[in-house]
Amino acid sequence: MNPVLDMREVVVDHQPPYDTGLRGISLQVSAGELVLIRVPDGEPITPLADAASGVIVPDAGAALFEGREWASRSADEAAAARGRIGRVFERAGWLSNLDVDENITLAQRYHKRRSPEDTLEEARALARELGIGGIPVGRPAFVDRESLLRCQWVRALMGAPALLLLERPARDLTANEVAPLVEAVNRRRENDGVAVVWLTDSHERLADSALRAARKCAIESGVLRTLTEP
Amino acid sequence: MHTARLMRVVSKTGAWAVSRASGLARLLAVAWTALAAGVQPRYWPPPVRNVLARQILFTGYEAMRFISMIALLVGVAVVVQTQVALTKFGQSGLLGPILVMVIIREIGPLLTNFVVIGRSGTAMTTELANMKVNGEVDLLDAQGLDPFLYLVLPRALGAAISIFCLTVVFIAVSFIGGFLMGLLVGANTGNPELFIRSVFGALSPADVLNLLVKSFVPGLLMGTICCVEGLSVRAAVTEVPQAATRAVVRSTAALFITSAFVSLVTYL
Repeated sequence: MNPVLDMREVVVDHQPPYDTGLRGISLQVSAGELVLIRVPDGEPITPLADAASGVIVPDAGAALFEGREWASRSADEAAAARGRIGRVFERAGWLSNLDVDENITLAQRYHKRRSPEDTLEEARALARELGIGGIPVGRPAFVDRESLLRCQWVRALMGAPALLLLERPARDLTANEVAPLVEAVNRRRENDGVAVVWLTDSHERLADSALRAARKCAIESGVLRTLTEP
Repeated sequence: MHTARLMRVVSKTGAWAVSRASGLARLLAVAWTALAAGVQPRYWPPPVRNVLARQILFTGYEAMRFISMIALLVGVAVVVQTQVALTKFGQSGLLGPILVMVIIREIGPLLTNFVVIGRSGTAMTTELANMKVNGEVDLLDAQGLDPFLYLVLPRALGAAISIFCLTVVFIAVSFIGGFLMGLLVGANTGNPELFIRSVFGALSPADVLNLLVKSFVPGLLMGTICCVEGLSVRAAVTEVPQAATRAVVRSTAALFITSAFVSLVTYL
């Protein structure tokens, strides 16, 4: 069976807005598998998630999603495939001219043409599952950072994604505060076979035993090192 | 020596012309793609339709009061003056043809486009440029939303539809306002029925086509130019006002060129 995500010797030159490049990274993530990748403190923005989701074209190597290389897809096909990837963004996670709830439901309404009520209902159910009181009202600029981060969890899990790319979804939260996300991610891995790439700047903080990571890796100076196998 | 200098000048001029021509070709290609995608329902998922509705609300509906005010002032200036002058020279029969020529063919579409470029075009460019600088365009892409479909298509078509509707409002308000103001100031406005008949009688199918093209096409070009300029910004906030200035200058140039070209093609 093809891995959900297959990155082969991917090279991305170091350039803004990234804090580091990628130097020949190979990474396979199968259905139901979670790979925990530590990024160094101080340079958290790597092009890994962008290369994995086909947003940027690697300078060398290839990135495949669901068995097909991003470069071989048409623009429409690539856009539809990205609709099956849930993501927590390290930077620029929100469209400033839409309300938070519109932001959360946007991709689902675009790709699956679902009604606002239907998508909002799913978002509220996910918010309850993730221990969030409710979806904040108003523009992202007027919502606190922590609530926005949790809302990014909701958005990433919307619409049963095949792959989750979580760029530091815990940030400044404690292990207890992140626990609902860890449980939700584990449930989806077991029940739906979702593949997960979880970037973090601290393995310890996450109580990573709860994450049951298949592999733990680290990116250092653009090189991926495997720390532990399962 | 002279030949070398001449060659350099020719080469620079040629390079400038080629770059301008390729820029224009790119712009027309984007406008055409927006038009072609706009008639295909598969390119209109609900969020794109929402952006179109918001664009029409902002560019069309919210500008209506300001456009009406300008139209009223133009009506007072042009309609009343023309009535007074023609009555003085005993040429009242020319009122309809002159008003059609001045307001419907030229001033209506030109002024409406001009107002929208200043009011909405700059806003559009600034909004998209800020989105680009803040990484929001990449965010759309990362979620699988085509930035062209989500950002450019509804804005370009929304601007074109709004400008067409605003031009119709402009013409109606300037005629009605001008006529009523004429009554108020005691200009010899005559019978309202005669006034309407005189204007409509002077209107030909070419005028209607001219109005449609002169409002819709510059509107589409303005929307496209403003989006393209906004999205051409790379990473620095300081590029935003420069993009807005370029958008206004190029939209205005596109407006006058289109307007002159359509007038020549339609009436000569």
